[in-house]
Amino acid sequence: MSLEGKVALITGGSRGIGRAITLRLASEGADVVINFFRKRDTAKDTAEAAHSSGVTAHIIKANLAEPEKIDRMFTEIEERFGRLDILVNNAASGVARSAMELNSDAWDWTMNVNARAALLCSQRAAALMKDGGVIVNISSLGSRLVMPIYTAVGVSKAALEALTRYLAIELAPQGIRVNAVSAAAVETEAMRLYTSDPNIPRSMVTSTPAGRMVQPEDIAGAVVFLCSDEAALIRGQVIIIDGGLSLTPLSYTSPGDRGVQNASA
Amino acid sequence: MTVSPSVEETVKKIVTRIVRKQEGEFKPNATFKDLKADSLDVVQILVAVEDTYDIEIPDDELQNVSDMESFVACIERIIANKNT
Repeated sequence: MSLEGKVALITGGSRGIGRAITLRLASEGADVVINFFRKRDTAKDTAEAAHSSGVTAHIIKANLAEPEKIDRMFTEIEERFGRLDILVNNAASGVARSAMELNSDAWDWTMNVNARAALLCSQRAAALMKDGGVIVNISSLGSRLVMPIYTAVGVSKAALEALTRYLAIELAPQGIRVNAVSAAAVETEAMRLYTSDPNIPRSMVTSTPAGRMVQPEDIAGAVVFLCSDEAALIRGQVIIIDGGLSLTPLSYTSPGDRGVQNASA
Repeated sequence: MTVSPSVEETVKKIVTRIVRKQEGEFKPNATFKDLKADSLDVVQILVAVEDTYDIEIPDDELQNVSDMESFVACIERIIANKNT
């Protein structure tokens, strides 16, 4: 599944899920451009780790809530690499409030970073994907399921998933494949923003049929698959990575292997 | 000759623009809470200040910020360290 010679931009690619995606794409041979929001040292650290795979790793600071910063980022990519093959719209931000407590600033910020930036990045990326390319949007189960104080992010992810479908069709003639990966809560620092309950990870493990929480590397694996030729005919889909969590209506506890059970005597 | 605005003047403009207050409400002893700045406002203020001065404000520096006076002092210190 080599991505050698490809150039990939990972927005929010310096930490958490973004870092795992960056490092996995680099390990497959892609040169990586790591967009980061504020922490330059964290981005440098990820770039060094990516570079150890023998690829070029470049960091660009850009607040994706601002269209002019997105423009500047792509101008830099164009000047430095002259092309782009893979775009991973991973950067996400959000204001953790219930619907009744959301104000317009919080709504705009969340929608701008999580949905509008994905559109603007895709527009600029498509122009640089001269030989076709791949766009992967990182969503979450909150686009379909209701979670406490997740309103703005959940709605923005629903918009991102809808955008995925529209882009998939509109960019298909240019040989650009667009899909999304949606995850249950992933064990990262960001998850702590939505819960102060130390027991949450444990309860999520016990209610996940797969028996463990989703890790950033699980998302990265799906992203790499979607970037490969093996996924050539997958278009506009949302691949859910949740260990089966969203399929269980009630808190699920594995009964263990009981062998073959016959319903009739 | 152009005189650059002081860090305090620049920070005052950034903070009051983002929290939608009159510049007169930016007092040395005013806290972010006094200015009704929520967590999103604070993030936007930090990003705007960082972009303006091409600096990074470390989280541990912010631990010592209690009001606008200490916030401005923190930024001045980071700018001074950058230029040395």
